[in-house]
Formats: sequence, structure tokens, C-alpha cells
Amino acid sequence: MQEIIRAEDIRKTFHLSRKQRQIERSKTGKKVALDGLSFTAYEGEIYGLLGPNGAGKTTMLRILSTLISADSGEAFVAGHSVSREPDKVRASIGFLTGELKLEDFFTPDYLFGFFGRLHGLPEEGIRARKEELFRKFGIDAYAQVKVADLSTGMKQKVSLVISIIHDPSVIIFDEPTNGLDVLTAKVVTDFLLELKGQGKSIILSTHIFSLVEKLCDRVGVIIGGRMAAEGTLDEVRGGKSMEDAFFDIYKREVTGK
Amino acid sequence: MKNILTIISKEFARFFKDRRLVLGTLLLPGLLIFLLYTLMGSVLYDDSHTYTVKAVHLSPTFAQIFAAEEGEEPSVRFEEIAASEAEAAKEEILAGNCDALIVFPEDFDAILAGGSYAPPGGENTPNVQIWYDASSGNSSSVYSLMRSALDTLEDNISNRFDVNSPAAGGGSLTSGEEAAASFYAQLMPFLILTLLFSGCMGVAPESIAGEKERGTIATLMVTPVKRSELVVGKVVSLSVISALSAISSFIGTFLSMPKLMGGNIGDLFAAYSAWEYLALFAVMLSAVLLIVSLISILSSLAKSVKEATTYSVPLMIVVMLVGLSSMLFTTSVPAAHLIPIFNCVQVMSAIFAGNFSAVNLLIALGSNLVYIVLLVFALARMFKSERIMFNR
Ligand SMILES: Nc1ncnc2c1ncn2[C@@H]1O[C@H](COP(=O)(O)OP(=O)(O)O)[C@@H](O)[C@H]1O
Ligand SMILES: [Mg+2]
Repeated sequence: MQEIIRAEDIRKTFHLSRKQRQIERSKTGKKVALDGLSFTAYEGEIYGLLGPNGAGKTTMLRILSTLISADSGEAFVAGHSVSREPDKVRASIGFLTGELKLEDFFTPDYLFGFFGRLHGLPEEGIRARKEELFRKFGIDAYAQVKVADLSTGMKQKVSLVISIIHDPSVIIFDEPTNGLDVLTAKVVTDFLLELKGQGKSIILSTHIFSLVEKLCDRVGVIIGGRMAAEGTLDEVRGGKSMEDAFFDIYKREVTGK
Repeated sequence: MKNILTIISKEFARFFKDRRLVLGTLLLPGLLIFLLYTLMGSVLYDDSHTYTVKAVHLSPTFAQIFAAEEGEEPSVRFEEIAASEAEAAKEEILAGNCDALIVFPEDFDAILAGGSYAPPGGENTPNVQIWYDASSGNSSSVYSLMRSALDTLEDNISNRFDVNSPAAGGGSLTSGEEAAASFYAQLMPFLILTLLFSGCMGVAPESIAGEKERGTIATLMVTPVKRSELVVGKVVSLSVISALSAISSFIGTFLSMPKLMGGNIGDLFAAYSAWEYLALFAVMLSAVLLIVSLISILSSLAKSVKEATTYSVPLMIVVMLVGLSSMLFTTSVPAAHLIPIFNCVQVMSAIFAGNFSAVNLLIALGSNLVYIVLLVFALARMFKSERIMFNR
């Protein structure tokens, strides 16, 4: 098995603003989001980071997609170091999260062209890919409608399509089904399985147990910025449901401290 | 380079395809300034109004002097009435149908020609009565016009010497229009900077803080586009749009100037050579780039458009004060032209005064270029900083 993503002892501390300090009730003004996180994901698999809110999942995925950098530790994506070769990493990943928004003013058609050009794709390539992806996700009928006027589900589909415009080999997906209606959520999960079928590698984060069971080959359970359990889905579940297994792990992690 | 062009074309599409933005940033400022200044001008120089004055025994000598003082466009019409109609005329003044009543003694001109000195307030001292309504602006101004003509008349009678008599010479070396033009020339740098600033405020906070606030800039940051390309693309397109907005305001100002000054500014502008216009353009361009970079930096420090606007207020005050500095003093010391913005103001006011120095222009442009490059570098660094771009 070829490894595609490796995180080694990643640490990340946020310095809180005064307002945040009050919200988090932190006296030190610091928040340790990742406390020495290590894991490995393999080519052609779906890796799931499972954890409660505030566990550090988004932070880890942002580091992998070079949006932010770790305080210490090293991470590699598709053989490139995220700190030393961020450009190469960005060229080989598609990063998707609800936090990455598209400009309301433009149409899916315009944005697809815009991002295609930023990825250095030739114009005919962009056109062909647009046709393929728009048809597949039913965007063609809305290609000329401003993003502002699209439904949430359609917006998410357009974001998804644009994030994989350059046919990346690695897909990083933060909370894939958050905020989606059941129909769009199904389209998204089906598509992730299809991408896996094409040999793509996927890492996603979620707090939904059923999603992990449905999609993931390998799971890392993050609690408080640490890896509480890691392995194949069956190893982590240990014969129980993912939900029961998670709460066992959670109890062990919290009382063990 | 290709990415920079892609970013620029997107920023332009965002702006030019949005009718509200185009109207608000490009058309409205020029139109508003034009309307406002034209309105101010027509209030200041309301020469369309004509006053009606009723006169009893109107003195021809007085009428002559009055006409001479009024100049080319007379606005007062004298209507001769009989002495018996005077009371009726007073009623008309109160009713607002007539602006004033002037009553001369009978054969006033003959009395003047008699020429003997009459003590003020004396029993036989001839008296001119002016009846008017002090509560009406029109009536009051026609009153003071007549007073001043009467004063001249009185001076003429007891004349011992002339001052600036048309025959002997003397007077202002510049025409009234030229004096007004030089006043506006001094005001110009301030006006231009203010217009540039407001043009930039209309687009930069929205394009940087707005994209940050809405999370659309992060989408760009996961593409292979370099932070520096993003920054250069933004600064260039924002500068072009700000400059266009400033040009719109400038055209509005330009077209309304004649009205505002009550004269013609065309002569003033025709007085400059192509070189001077080129210099002016270069200085304005460097000012736009400086202001855009500064507001962009403040906008990327801000978490929202509102915050960005708040941060820019102190900067705006400083820029406007510096813009006013040319009204107080000008300097041709080369070293002073190293100070950003101040150097733009000084060069502009020197150009308008017709005495700019090429050395100072080059110092100003060169130092501004250095500042702009430094600011763009700083901005690119800020775009790389997650603390700034992803602050909560
Ligand atoms: N930009 C930031 N500034 C300050 N604190 C942050 C920032 N991003 C995340 N955090 C904090 O770090 C912790 C982990 O956050 P996150 O990675 O978003 O968790 P998850 O995605 O697992 O819910 C949380 O306590 C969060 O409040
Ligand atoms: Mg999260």
C-alpha cells in the first residue's frame, strides 16, 4: 500500500483575541488545537477523521491544504511537504469545506472558467470538464444563474465541482454533508465513492458515525487534538457499532488523563 | 503573470458587470459633484434675478454712476414715478412687489451743480431717501448697491484726487477670474486627493475585507495562484477602478467650475503644456497606487467591510489635511518631496502654479514607487499570514 498523506507529530496553538478569550474562558490566551497529531492515509482509500466539535479536525485539514501552517511537526501530501512545497501540494489536492465560499455575484459558468484558468488548464480542457461535471451534478440548468440565487444544495454542488476542476489525486473534504439536505448529501457521498472507484485518495472529517461507517476504509479518532484511536474501520470499531466504540474511546481518553 | 491577468479580469468583471457599482462609483460621484457645484455657483452668482426700484425725480447723474458700478449685466430696473405715488410704492415694497423706493429732491442735479458745501444734518442740506425692507435679502442688497453709488456720487462732488482712474491707470494686475482661478488651483490638490480617496474607499474594503468576511478569498488560496499574484492583481485592478472613479469626479468638477467661479476656468487649463499634464497624470497615478495599497493593507487587517471602513477614517483625515497643506505653504526643497502624499500635493500645486521642477517631480515619483513596492510586498506578506487572513 502506497502512502499518500502522512502527518508527523503536528502541533498547532492558536493565540486568542480578547473576545475569543472570554468565549473560551481561557486565561492563558492560547488554545492548543493540535497536540502532536500523527497519522497516515493510503492511496485509493477514504480516510476519516472522526471527532467531536473543537477536536481539531478542521485545523488538521487546513494544514494539509496549506491554508495554515503547523507550529511544529511535518506533513506530506502526495509526496510533497506542505511547508516546503505548498504550491505543489495545492496543485495535487482538491480542498472542500463549507467555509470556502464562492462569490455570490458570479455564475457557476464564469467561476468554473475562472478557477480553471487559475489551475492552468487550457480553454478546451475547461470546456470539456465543465460539460462533464455540470451534467453529472445537474448544474447545467443553473450555469447562468448567479450563485446568490442558487439553493444551498446547488451552491455546495458548484463548490464541489470547482474544487475538483483540475482532477486532483487527493481530495480533502471537511464535514462533507454538513448543512446539506438529504438528497444533496446522498449525491455527495455517492460521488466520493465514485472518486474512490477511480483510484483517488480521500481524507474527510466528520462527527457523524454513520458517515464513517458508510464511506471510510480507515479511521482516526481525534479528541482534544490527539489521536485517541487509529486503524481500519473494523479495527477501530472492534466488533461494535462506530457510535459505541467512539464513546468507549472517549471515556478512556478523558478518564485516562 | 497569467494568473495576475486572470485575477484582474475577474475583479473587472465583478465591478463592470454590476450596474449598481458602476453607477455608484463611476457615474454618481461626477454627477453629484457637478450638480452640487452648479447649484452652489448659481446661488453664489445669482445674476438672473432683476430688481425693481421705483424712483421719484430720478437723478440722471446718479443713474449713470449706478449703471457704471453695475457693470455689463444690469440687474436693477428703475421705474420713475410721481411724488404722489410714493406712499403706494412703500406698500408695494412691503408686499414684495417692488424692492426699493428712492426719492431725490426735485432738480437734484442742479443742486449738485450749484456746488456749495452743505453741512450734514443741516436744515437746507439736500436729502435722498431710500425706502426698503431690511427683512428681505433682495431689498437689502439693492439698498446697499444704491448706497454705494450714492457714496461714489458724493465723493465725486467733493473730489480732490482720483484713485485708479481709468484714464490714469492702476488696479489689480490679475483679473478677478484669474484670482479665482489661482484660488482653485491651490484647492485642486486637496480636491483631487479627496476624490481619489473616496473612489478607492468605494472598492478596496469591499474587495479585500469583503472577500475575507465572506470566505471567498480562502477559496482562491487553495488554488495554485501565488499570494503575491493575488495581491498584485487586486492592487492593479483596484487602482484602475479608483482612478476611473476619480476621473469621473474630476470631470464633474471641471464642468461645474465655470459656474462655481462665475467665470471661465478653460483659460486656466489651456495654460498648461502637454508636459505638465503628463506630470500631473503621473503624480495622480502614484497617489492612487499609494492610497489603494494603504487602504488594502487596512482592509486586510480588518475582519469585515465595516471594520475596514472604520480603520480608513484616520487615514482619510490625514490625507485630507496633507491635501490642504498647499493652501498654507509650498516648498521646493527636494528632500520634502520624499514624504509620500505630501510630495504629490506639492508637485500638483507647483504644476498649477506653473513653476514645477523636474527634479522634484522625479524625486516624488521615485520615492512613491519605492513606497508602493514596499507596501505591495507588505500586503503579500499579510496575505500569507494566517493570523491576518484567518483571524476570528
Ligand atoms: N483561527 C483560530 N483562532 C483561534 N482558535 C481557533 C482557530 N481555529 C480553530 N480554533 C480553535 O481550535 C480548536 C479546534 O478547532 P477546529 O479544528 O475547528 O475543530 P473541529 O473542526 O474538530 O470542530 C477549537 O477549540 C477552536 O476554537
Ligand atoms: Mg470543523
